Amino acid sequence: MKTPREILLAQHRAAEARLDVIRQTTLAAVTRMQPPEPAVHATLFQTLWQELFFSTRRTWTGLAMVWALIFLVNFSQRDNVNSVTGKPVHSGGPVMSLQAQQRWMNELFADRALPPEVDRPRNSAPKPRTQAAQTAAV
Amino acid sequence: MPEVAAPEQLPVSQARAGEPAAWDALFRRYQLPLYVYVFELVRHEQTSLDLVQETFIAAVKHLGSLREDRKFGSWLFGIAHQKCLQHFRKRTEVLCDEVPEPPDEFEDAPDDLLIRREQEQEFMALINQLPLPQRSVLLLRFIEDFSLDEISRITETQLGTVKSRLHFAKRSLRKLLEAKNENPA
Repeated sequence: MKTPREILLAQHRAAEARLDVIRQTTLAAVTRMQPPEPAVHATLFQTLWQELFFSTRRTWTGLAMVWALIFLVNFSQRDNVNSVTGKPVHSGGPVMSLQAQQRWMNELFADRALPPEVDRPRNSAPKPRTQAAQTAAV
Repeated sequence: MPEVAAPEQLPVSQARAGEPAAWDALFRRYQLPLYVYVFELVRHEQTSLDLVQETFIAAVKHLGSLREDRKFGSWLFGIAHQKCLQHFRKRTEVLCDEVPEPPDEFEDAPDDLLIRREQEQEFMALINQLPLPQRSVLLLRFIEDFSLDEISRITETQLGTVKSRLHFAKRSLRKLLEAKNENPA
C-alpha cells in the first residue's frame, strides 16, 4: 500500500533529469542577476536618492519648472519695465537717476551746513530791560 | 529519513542573502513536487517544465515579499498556481466551478487514502477525471500535505470552498476506486 504522494512522485521521477537542467539554468540566471556588493556609502546614497528624489521625481521636476518660470518672468520684467511705475526703462536710466539722486543729496546736505538765521545762537548775552532802555535813550 | 523536510530546515534566510547554494537546496527540494502539481493540472510536459522554471525565476525575484520563512513552500506553490491560472487564461480554460455547500463533517486525515500497488495507474487516471478545482485542492493536499488554510491561501479561495472541494474530490475518488474494484474490466 502506498500513499497518494508516493504514487504521484514516483509517476514523475523520470522528469527529474530535465528538472535538474532547469534548476541549473535558473541558478546560473540567479548568479548573473546578483549585482556585485556595492560600498556602504554608495548604498546609502542610492537609498537616499531612491527615497527622497526618485520616488517623487515628477513633483521635483514640476517644482523646478515653476521656479525656472518665475525667474524667467522676473528677469524679463526687470530688463524692460520699471517695477514701480510700470513704464519702460531706457538703457541710461539707472545712471541718470543715480546722478539726480546725488545732486539732490548734495543740496540737502548743503542746506544743513548753513542753517537758517533764526536758528543761529546769539553772540551777545541777554541784558536786563532797564539797561536796554538806557542804551536806546543814549 | 522523512521525505518532506521540515520547513524550518529550509535555507530561506540564506537565499534572501543571495546565496546560490541556498537557492539550489530550495529548488532541489521543491522541483519535483512543483512539477507534479503543475503537470497534473496542465497535462503537458514541456508546458509544465516551462511553468516550473517561471515559478523559480519569480521566486528569486520576489522573495522579498515573503514575510515568514516557514511559509516558503506554500508561497512557492502559490506562485506556481498563479502561473497555471495564467496559462489557462491564455487557453480560455477556467479553474473555478460552482462550489457545493461545505460538508457538516469534514474528514481531515491526510493519509486516509491508501492505494494498492495494482491500483496505482487507475488512481492516476481517476485523478485526471476530477474537475480542475477539485484536482488542484486534492493535489496540494496529497503532494505537500498542506493544511486547509495553506491551500486556501495558495489557491486564493475561501476556506469553506477549499473544504468543500477537498471533501467532494475525496468522495469522488473513493467512489471511482470502489467502482473500479467492483467492475475490474
